[in-house]
Parts: sequence; structure tokens; C-alpha cells
Amino acid sequence: MSELIRDANFAILVYFLALNSFYALLLVLSIPEIWEQTRLAEDDDFQRLMQSDALPPITILVPAYNEQKTIEASVTAILALHYRNYEVVVVNDGSKDGTLEALRHAFDLYEVPRTYPETIPTKPLRALYRSRARTKLVVIDKENGGKADSLNAAINASRFPLVIAVDADTLIEPDALLRLTRPFLLGRRIAAVGGTVRVANGCVVKHGQVMDARVPRRLLAGVQVVEYLRAFLFGRLGWNRLGGNLIISGAFGLFRKDHLLAVGGYDATSIVEDLDLVVRLHRYLRSRKVRYEIPFIPDPVAWTEVPESLRVLARQRGRWQRGLVAAMWQYRGMLFNPRYGRVGMIAVPFYTFGEMLAPLIEVFGYGVTLVGLALGVVNVSFALLFILVAWGYGMLLSLWAVVLEEVSFHRYRRLGDLVRLVLFATLENFGYHQCAVWWRLGAFFTPRGRKHVWGEMTRRGFETATK
Amino acid sequence: MTARHFLAVVAVVQGVLLAALLILIVLNRWFRLRRRARNNPRQLAVEGVMQRWALGQADERGVLAQLARLPVSLAVDALVTWSSRVPGDRWRRLAGALEHEWWARLVRSNTNSGRWWKRLETARFLSVAAMPADTARLLKLLRDPHPAVHIAAVATLERVESAALATAALDRLPQLAPTVSAYYAGMLRRSRATVVQLLLTRLSRTDDPALARLAEFAARLQEPALREALTALAGHPDAEVRTQVARALGAFPHAESLTALTRLAGDAQWPVRAQAARSLGMLADPATLPLLHTALRDPDWWVRMRTGLALTRFGSAGRNALLAAEVGADPSARDMARLVLGLSPQALAEFAA
Repeated sequence: MSELIRDANFAILVYFLALNSFYALLLVLSIPEIWEQTRLAEDDDFQRLMQSDALPPITILVPAYNEQKTIEASVTAILALHYRNYEVVVVNDGSKDGTLEALRHAFDLYEVPRTYPETIPTKPLRALYRSRARTKLVVIDKENGGKADSLNAAINASRFPLVIAVDADTLIEPDALLRLTRPFLLGRRIAAVGGTVRVANGCVVKHGQVMDARVPRRLLAGVQVVEYLRAFLFGRLGWNRLGGNLIISGAFGLFRKDHLLAVGGYDATSIVEDLDLVVRLHRYLRSRKVRYEIPFIPDPVAWTEVPESLRVLARQRGRWQRGLVAAMWQYRGMLFNPRYGRVGMIAVPFYTFGEMLAPLIEVFGYGVTLVGLALGVVNVSFALLFILVAWGYGMLLSLWAVVLEEVSFHRYRRLGDLVRLVLFATLENFGYHQCAVWWRLGAFFTPRGRKHVWGEMTRRGFETATK
Repeated sequence: MTARHFLAVVAVVQGVLLAALLILIVLNRWFRLRRRARNNPRQLAVEGVMQRWALGQADERGVLAQLARLPVSLAVDALVTWSSRVPGDRWRRLAGALEHEWWARLVRSNTNSGRWWKRLETARFLSVAAMPADTARLLKLLRDPHPAVHIAAVATLERVESAALATAALDRLPQLAPTVSAYYAGMLRRSRATVVQLLLTRLSRTDDPALARLAEFAARLQEPALREALTALAGHPDAEVRTQVARALGAFPHAESLTALTRLAGDAQWPVRAQAARSLGMLADPATLPLLHTALRDPDWWVRMRTGLALTRFGSAGRNALLAAEVGADPSARDMARLVLGLSPQALAEFAA
């Protein structure tokens, strides 16, 4: 028994070392990447670009389900974007609240006939609307089919070669679209590109725009600010250099429409449709030997409201983990498959063993250590030292994300915000991280087969977020 | 070394790193504040003197003196920002005066730098302050492997009319990605005379693999001098070339355009037929009405759509054709006619755009 526990402890130590070495690699790779991206962002000549014919026209897809409180602010902000040629397609996915009425009232909608083929099959459309007030706006009212189904309906209705999926509870910065098209303007072979999603809780929001970026005072929202910084500023930037970004956030990602149509659009049965779509895109493009990139660029920013209650957060994290498990299982054929290049050899194995299995192994580690301590096989001081190192490493990664934010984009200008960021980066590992592991663990034991999920969340509304 | 020792070492290293990161955060804030305190007044001074100079209330020496006080990158930013606000002659005088400034010479010397961001700074500077003597530098920057550099360099064509630069840019245009190529095209439009001559030569080489892209660019120019060369390509074996020709000919109301478009409306490829239908709508010649009436029965939805929209541009004759199709025998033509007749004027205008 004691042999077994010793071996298990050793295996966990090796896993811990391998995983954290990989994180260290991502961290190192994020440095040149953020340097290059910051230089390019600083030197963009936006006035010249705005006047240029080169800007590719974009359709903004906004799926909405029970978004009555935020829909007007979100769509108003999207319609105020600094971009020359774009349209906005909002899809009301059979909302049970007054989302459609809110849209109709705010934008003076009138019904029009459908003028496009249904390339991707979706749930039946009830009506198609245009706005008398804002000519760029199209609203689709359809039967409930889930977020992915709504996005597919919006793709069908889109007229332009690039489409961007934006959550209705997301505020896009006015120049974000312009910045997001930079890789296209640099002539890169882009299949999709993602921008940064930041936390809007605590920020001052007026007329659908974040006027003053603040770090929330509440612990739960504050810790998520650090989490988002870590995920975007060094996680995804590091993956740019490894050629395998597997996630383009569903809340803010620009895609080539022809590729989306080729892979059949979003999978309406998937729980986490953004991950599923990007993995499918990689599979499709790699198997056809198409040269492409799916990069993340940090300076285009969208702001989103994050959960401030444990119950909603637990549900969100559980859903994300279930989606990850389902996607990794569905695309297991890509695992260590050289046919898919770095995606098959690095990204998919990392997401499978590093991200998906991490909560299982962490809880198993705690369990084995406790049993070892009870049996006297594991030394108390060794166990404490191990936990100290593991938590210290988590703090180091979070603080690194804060450093990247500080030296590059510097959105949080007040000293108080910086202090709170450092504080939350430190506190994250004491309680919050363990809760997140527990919520994610639950995903392994939740029955699958749920369809048309929206990940419902109680919203306070942006304009009231600071109150 | 035991596992315990190893972990202890890792813990110590982590502690040191954590402390270092905290110090880095504090130092970065401090340096940033100092830099801002130093540069802000200088930037405001540049804004002020530029404003006065643009109004003719200050001379160039004042502008140059204030620019020299700024860090080079900020000086280049200021020049790029102000270049679009100051009339051409005045700006050219400033560009000439900048030739003798030490920092501008330094920026120019970075054309050969091994660091792409330095070359980008040079390209941005030259895009607003290039003089005839900079042609060789700009040609080098136009061939730069970093896309940001050559894209910044091609913006020089907005201000400088140079056959050498226009030729180099046009040579590169077909090899570029569509968005970059569109940006180049926008810049090349300013050197219309040179570009039209170059295009006439290039469009006559029917075996040129870049022909489709060149035809696309020629279509954007809407230059009557190119009509004949484009019409001659209507029978080209490459469908992409024919599509671009079909698109371009809509801008030239000429009998030869109509003949070519009539032929292209019967093309085997649907994108060619769709573009031809659109262009026939733009020309709105009554003689082509029967052809469009037939095209409403095309097997492809987009061709029918473009045809329906084209018919709306023929006035009452086109509307009558749509009304006839709406009650006609062909179900696909009937559906499309119904759809187009139901569109609001605003929707029609948007489709036309």
C-alpha cells in the first residue's frame, strides 16, 4: 500500500513538473509575442486604414437569449463601432423575456422577407427584421435552438466574407474591429482571429462603452479579472508561437465565413461551441493541407460581465469543463496524430492531459497525500512544501499576467486597481482555485447529452454594474 | 538531491521570482509616470506649434525645434497625425526642412536596420516626409519581408508621384493577399497616369498568372482608357479573369461592353454570370432585357438574385419583367421575382452597394 502511495505521489510530482514546465514555456513565448503585438498596435495608422478600401467587410453575429436587460446597450455599442463596412445580425433565439420587444422598441424594427439561402440548417425562423433607425442592423427571430444554432442562423443571413461572433452581453471597444482585422491587413493567411475579453464588472460604462476600466472590489469578480488576464495575455499569446490556439473566444472571434460554411458552421449539439468550432477548423484545414493561422491578438478588447455569485460561476465553469471533455473525446483521433502537425502533437495533448485531466489529478493528489499522511508514508513537512510550491507557482503565473498587462496595455491606471490586481492574483490560490477545481471535477460526473445550452446567467446590466 | 531538497530549491526560486515581479510592477509604474511627466508637456508643445504653423502663425523652425525635443517614435507619430491636416505645399516645405534634422537622418539610416520595428518607423516617417532622394530607400522598404513595413512604405504613394515606386508597387500587388492588395490599389490610384500605362502593358499579356488580380485592380480604377484592354479579356480561359472583366465592364456604357457582357451572361461559371447580370443592370440597356428575363430562370440562386436586382434598374420595363415572372410558369423565377419585388428601396440600395 505504502509503495503504491509513494508511486502515486511520484507520478503526481512528475505530472506537476511537466505541466508547469509547459506553462513556463508559454510564459516565455508570450514575451516576444506581446512585444511584437504591442509594436504593431502602436504603429497602426487607423485614420489611413479607416479611409482605405482594404478593410474587409464584416458581419457581426449577435446571438441573444433572455438578454432583455443588456441587449439595447450591447447593440448600440456594436453599432457605434469605428469601422467602415459592416452589418450586425442579431438573433433572438426564442427568448422567454422581452428581448425582441426591447430590440423592436429601441431600433424601430420592421419585418422584411428573407433574401438568402439556408446554407446551414437551423431551427425555423419566425421573422426577419430590419431597422428604420439603423440601416446596418438585421434582426432574426427564430425558435429556440441554442447559441450555436443562433450563430448558424446569423451566418446564413450574413452577406460579408468575415464574420465575428459577439455575445449580446459583451461590449466591444469602438476600434476593436479595426484592430482585429490587422492580421488580415498584414496579408497573413488567417482562418480565424481572436481578441481579448476583459471583465466589465466594476468598470464605469456609459452609452454601451467602458469609459473607465476598474478592477472590481468584490473578490469573486476581482479574481476573475486576473484569471482572464492570465488566460488571454500569456496563455493564448504563448500558443500563437506554438501554432495551435484551440480556443477563439465565442464572445469575440473573427472567422472567415467560407471556412465556417465548409465545416458546417457551429455544432448545435456542442456545449462549448467555440472550442468545438476551432478544433474542427484545425482538423479540416490541416487534413486538406491548407496553409492557415488562427492567432490571438491582444489589443482588440471586448468587455463582458462575469458571474458574481458562486452558484452561477459554478454552473459556468462546469459547462466549460463538460464542453472541454466532450470536445477532447470527440476529436480524440487528433491526439498525437502527426497528420495534424503541432495541433495534433502539442495543442490537443496539452488540452487533454493538461487542461481536461488537471482537476481529476489535482483532487487525486490531495486524496493520495491525505491517505499518505494518515498512513505515515508521506511526511507532513514534505506535503506542506509541495502545496506551497504548487500554490506559489499559481501565484507566479497570475502575477506574470499582471506584469504583462502593466508593461503593455496598462488599462487599469489607478494605483488602487493595481494593488487590487496584485492582491487578487495572490488570493486566487487560497480557496477560489480549489472551488474551481471542484466545479470542474463535477463535469466528469454530469450526464451528457444536454442540448441547446445557453449557460444561463443572472445579469445586472452594464450601466448598473458599477453601482 | 532528494525530492524535498528539490522542492525547497523551487520554493526559494519562486519566492525570489515573486519578489522580482512585484518590484518590476512598481518600477514599471514609476518609469511610466516619469516618462509621461517628461513627454506630455513636449507633446502638447508640438501640438501647439503645429496648430500655429498650420494656421500660418509660426514658422517651420519652431516646429522642427519642438519635434527634436520629442523621442523619435513620438515625433514620427506626430508627423503622421498632422500630415493629413496640413495642405500639401506647406507639408512639402516641412518635409524638405526635415531632411537636415539629425533625428530625421537617423530615422532614414534605419532603412537597413536588422530590426523590423526600426524599419517600420522609417517607412512610416517616409510615408509622410519622403523627398525625391528617398526613392532608393523606399524601393528597398517596398520589398521588405515584414508586411507592416512594406504596407507603411506604400502609403508614400499618397504624397509622392514616382513612376519607379508605382511600378514597384504594381509589380508586387498581384502577389499580395486580397486585403493588402486592396490597400496597395487604394494607394496606386493616386498615381493614375503612371498606373494606367503600366496596366495597359500588363493586361495585354494574356498568359500572365497575375492577370485576374490586375483585372480586379483595373476594375477598381474605372478608367475609360482601360476599357478596350478589359473587353479583350472577356474570352480568357481563366474564370476569375472573366469574372473581373464582367464586373469592370459595368462601369463602361459602350456597345462593345454590351456585346462582351451578353456573352459572359451565358458563361459556364455562375460567378461570371452573376457579375455579368449585375453589370448589365448597371448599364440598363433596353436591348438586354430579354436576356435578363431568361437569366431569371438560371439554375443558380445568386445569378437569379443578381438578375432580379439588375431588372429593378431598368425602371418600369424591368418591373414589368419581374411582374411577368412573378406569375410565370417557372417556379424559381417566380420566387425570385416575388422576393425582389418585396424588397424595400433601402434594401435595394444596400444590395446595389
